[in-house]
Amino acid sequence: MATASSSSSSDVKLDTALHIKYIQNLDKRQDLAYHLTSHLRLNGIYWGLTAAHIMGQPNTLDREGVIEYVLSCWDDEAGAFGPHPGHDGHVLATLSGIQIMLMEDAIDRIDVGRVTQFLLDRINDDGSVSGDTWGEIDTRFTYICLSSLSLLGKLDQIPQQKRDSIIEYIRKCKNFDGGFGRVPGAESHSGQVWVCTAALSILDRQDLIDVPLLGAWLSERQLPNGGLNGRPEKLEDVCYSWWCLASISIIGKLSWINRDKLINFILGAQDLEDGGIADRPGDWVDVFHTIFGLAGLSLLGYPGLEDIDPVYCMPAKLIDKLVLRKPYAALERMSSYP
Amino acid sequence: MVGQLSVHGIKRSRITPQAAEAKKLKEQSKIEAYLALEADVLGRKRSKDHTTDSLGQTTKLLDLNPEFYTIWNFRRNILLTLFPTLISDEVVAHLTSDLRLTTSYLLVHPKVYWIWNHRKWCLESVPDGPGESVKWKEEFWKGELKLVEKMLDADSRNFHAWDYRRYVLASLPVQRPLTDELKYTQSKIESNFSNFSAWHCRTKTLAAIWEKEQTPEAEIRRTKDQEFELVTQALWTDPNDQSGWLYHRWLVGSEPPLEVLNREIKNIKDLYEVEPDSKWCINALAHYTLLLGQDQSTTQVDKAKLRKEAHDLYRRLEDVDPDRKNRYQEMGM
Repeated sequence: MATASSSSSSDVKLDTALHIKYIQNLDKRQDLAYHLTSHLRLNGIYWGLTAAHIMGQPNTLDREGVIEYVLSCWDDEAGAFGPHPGHDGHVLATLSGIQIMLMEDAIDRIDVGRVTQFLLDRINDDGSVSGDTWGEIDTRFTYICLSSLSLLGKLDQIPQQKRDSIIEYIRKCKNFDGGFGRVPGAESHSGQVWVCTAALSILDRQDLIDVPLLGAWLSERQLPNGGLNGRPEKLEDVCYSWWCLASISIIGKLSWINRDKLINFILGAQDLEDGGIADRPGDWVDVFHTIFGLAGLSLLGYPGLEDIDPVYCMPAKLIDKLVLRKPYAALERMSSYP
Repeated sequence: MVGQLSVHGIKRSRITPQAAEAKKLKEQSKIEAYLALEADVLGRKRSKDHTTDSLGQTTKLLDLNPEFYTIWNFRRNILLTLFPTLISDEVVAHLTSDLRLTTSYLLVHPKVYWIWNHRKWCLESVPDGPGESVKWKEEFWKGELKLVEKMLDADSRNFHAWDYRRYVLASLPVQRPLTDELKYTQSKIESNFSNFSAWHCRTKTLAAIWEKEQTPEAEIRRTKDQEFELVTQALWTDPNDQSGWLYHRWLVGSEPPLEVLNREIKNIKDLYEVEPDSKWCINALAHYTLLLGQDQSTTQVDKAKLRKEAHDLYRRLEDVDPDRKNRYQEMGM
């Protein structure tokens, strides 16, 4: 058993063909780990499909197969999507279902009315949002609820009073460092920073973000090796190339980090034998880090990639077509790299 | 590992096709057993088979996969069906055993949301009693602080554990004085100045104390002076660790008293002399110099001088920390 060679030199390129093949093969190797992660299956398809869109190959997965699978995840009792047939409906899987159906141009095949009701029912009077009827609260769910309703064109169905409470709740999750946490009192974390800045964007309340303060905090997430971490004094991880980068793009300060160093870090985390991107160079790859690595590269202007919308984490072309685009700034697409 | 959807920090290794085949064969019986158990439990869920027998099956499945949230949901539905048929002692026994189960899972999977959720549900389901007392509730909640301290000893930055700690403290039937939390964060900070989670918790605790007790301004200032002493130790111990700098910035705030600002600038300048390349040191100096320039009592001449000083510090940062040079350029404008 030899340790895999890591690819960290700066002349490494993005191996698009290999990553497409990796995504196509995701369902082929059904080992135990595959079955143990069925609670993430629908999210996994969204990650794979979005990655394929970013690489300019939206037809990578079998369209009808994907649509049928999404429909098979419907939890009729809840009125929402679960992550796999027989699993309970939850906002986490529901957003993925909506995103996949929009990318496959099949949104008319889901029960938009019932999904909308499920999402509206998640908003509590104090502006917090639950993930399902069991009631877990997290600003991730705030974002998911708003993003889903917005993608369905139903954002205006949130009563004004609840809309105000949601905004107030997000404000309570804001910390002195400019970042946001899961719930009021919780420490700032890049993942929660993204969901809160994107949620405020969807509600057209970007004015509540302290741009210089949050921009500084986000730019300090970059470590000397080029990778980004999620909180002060933590290790770098490719997935923060999305959570931090999308946030800093939403506030228009992408130039506050070192682009080339981050690009090289993400490229170095590729598996150049079997495809896919890992959390950091030399580790096992997965589709989660593959999409967020690619999405980060897209925001950084890596050549040959399609634009990604940092608020919705979906192809920018599609978001523009739906007339949902909010203010943000990505870096100019390069014609070659390095 | 190949079929995993999200993995963190596991080194990739190459295995030969033969080894892969052998592993697959070895795994095959495990996969079959898992799928059979999964089908059995999901079948029981569909037919709403809320029996102790089903409860036992969910334990078996969760042992193999504690992230399977649908099974946690099913487990709670079973318990909710059973509870009305049981006397309180039996309900307490069930909850005790579920807490024990989640403890054992959390020690292996400290970052799985669903396990923490189930734990919260158990605690919130503890009945009044025994008799007219609320001893069960008191006992259960007291045990939670011990658990969360154990979790934070194992990983002092685990945000699930910190969030859970805040939740437990807010839920205790008999509230602890907030000053206890100051002692706790202090012990965490002193054992590792780099623990920003503890610094963060300290900002929230102090703010909560001041709000609750309507602390007068003069006393807040006295407390802050002691905090400045604590954080100064951290800054001198490792000026390249940002945790202390962030806390320092919180202490200074947006409109600090002039003497405090001047004192802190002087202290940081002392450190800067010893650590001329510490970007955090320069960064703090630049920011506080700008703050000083905004103070009402500063004359126009001094304002211009301070702006120039800050500008020069930001120029220096462009050299010391080039990865963020665009930010420093904008800040120094």
